[in-house]
Amino acid sequence: MRVTICIGSACHLKGSRDVISKMQEMVAQNGLIDKVDLNGAFCSGNCVKEGVCVTVDGELFSVKPEDTENFFHKEILGRL
Amino acid sequence: MGITVDVAYKSFNKFGEVLCGDKVEMLKTEDSNIVILADGMGSGVKANILATLTSKILGTMFLNGATLEECVETIVDTLPICQVRKVAYSTFSILQVFHNGEAYLVEFDNPGCIFIRDGQLVPIPRNIRVIQDKKINEFRFQVKKGDALLLMSDGTIHAGVGQLLNFGWLWEDIAAYALKQYEKTISAARLANAVCQACDELYMYRPGDDTTVAAMRIIDAKPVHLMTGPAADKADDQRMVADFMSGDENTKRIVCGGTSANIVSRILGKPLDVSMEYVDPEIPPIAYIDGLELVTEGVLTLNRVVKLIRRYAGDNSITEDLFLELDKKNGASMVAKMLLEDCTELHLYVGKAINGAYQNPGLPFDLGIRQNLVEQLKKAVEDTGKQVTVTYY
Repeated sequence: MRVTICIGSACHLKGSRDVISKMQEMVAQNGLIDKVDLNGAFCSGNCVKEGVCVTVDGELFSVKPEDTENFFHKEILGRL
Repeated sequence: MGITVDVAYKSFNKFGEVLCGDKVEMLKTEDSNIVILADGMGSGVKANILATLTSKILGTMFLNGATLEECVETIVDTLPICQVRKVAYSTFSILQVFHNGEAYLVEFDNPGCIFIRDGQLVPIPRNIRVIQDKKINEFRFQVKKGDALLLMSDGTIHAGVGQLLNFGWLWEDIAAYALKQYEKTISAARLANAVCQACDELYMYRPGDDTTVAAMRIIDAKPVHLMTGPAADKADDQRMVADFMSGDENTKRIVCGGTSANIVSRILGKPLDVSMEYVDPEIPPIAYIDGLELVTEGVLTLNRVVKLIRRYAGDNSITEDLFLELDKKNGASMVAKMLLEDCTELHLYVGKAINGAYQNPGLPFDLGIRQNLVEQLKKAVEDTGKQVTVTYY
């Protein structure tokens, strides 16, 4: 599974760094390093949304730092 | 033949003084670069005024084509006479290097210029001329790529006198040290800073005299192309990237901006690899495109770059701290380091598109300031003595 997290200017200001570190932590805790491929990405032009732009196998989501855990359970664990 | 120079200087004030009694002027004429180092008699305000007058008069007159005789006469007639010592006095060195490789060195009472070529010291011959009772040494020669020249005030050779060193730091020993530092350092700024820092240490951080080192290195032209922001009209993307990619194999290329990076990646047909490593919490991670030196986020990074370059260009402020900051591996430090130490001329390719997403009052930082930032960057880099051109799309 390929997951990208935007680190462009706008997403950075909305908390990319937190989202990345939480995702990395949860991927490691759940032993998914081989299955989930985390990547950075630059602006995809969707920054109007409230959270950080995250894609899961090409599908776009908007994730706020405080929602990262829910997102991980629902969209990542939920799909594996 | 295009000779390009990298020039910088570093001063330490005499301990306890707010003003420096040494003054360096760095000037450009159409066909040459000039460095002038003047050392006013005494210290503090008086010395500062003498040195400033001397360097400014020499600079202004040289720029306007005056002869050395006229310059010296004007200085002698102009400098205020010291009430205590009843003389008006400031030493000076002038180094002018023409783009065709001709060089002209004038020295009056400063420690001799250190001339490094091919890893060795080159002695500067004595050729004294007496002008207005002053013995002035003149030397005309040819420089070549790789040469380095250092001008110094006498604070250097007095370093540590009577304390760590009986007779101060001898010229020969400074020259040997400079030679070693020459091999270790990449820029004029680091070379000047290294020698000056060593003097400060010998003074045990309490310089007994104003201490200044100005360094000039003869280098290849190092153009840097920096692209930031998408073109206002998408139809211009292709042209913008083509201009950005122009230049010879010496040209280094930086992209600052996520959307710009996507455009470059698409047009060149090379993948964009974005890192997730936050080296600095405030600066978004960098990215990679094969064939480009650096790819970073845009305005947040550039904002920091401008701050770093201003610190460097500010009066006298190159410090060890700043070099440590430049050596960090975050996007902004990497861009600033390249612009300061590995660049002789900067070409900016700036897109005027407005990113709709940034017109969002909810963001804690005004992202719609690219053009303003570019103007600030241009000014800051120009203040370091480099030529900057901007093309808008």
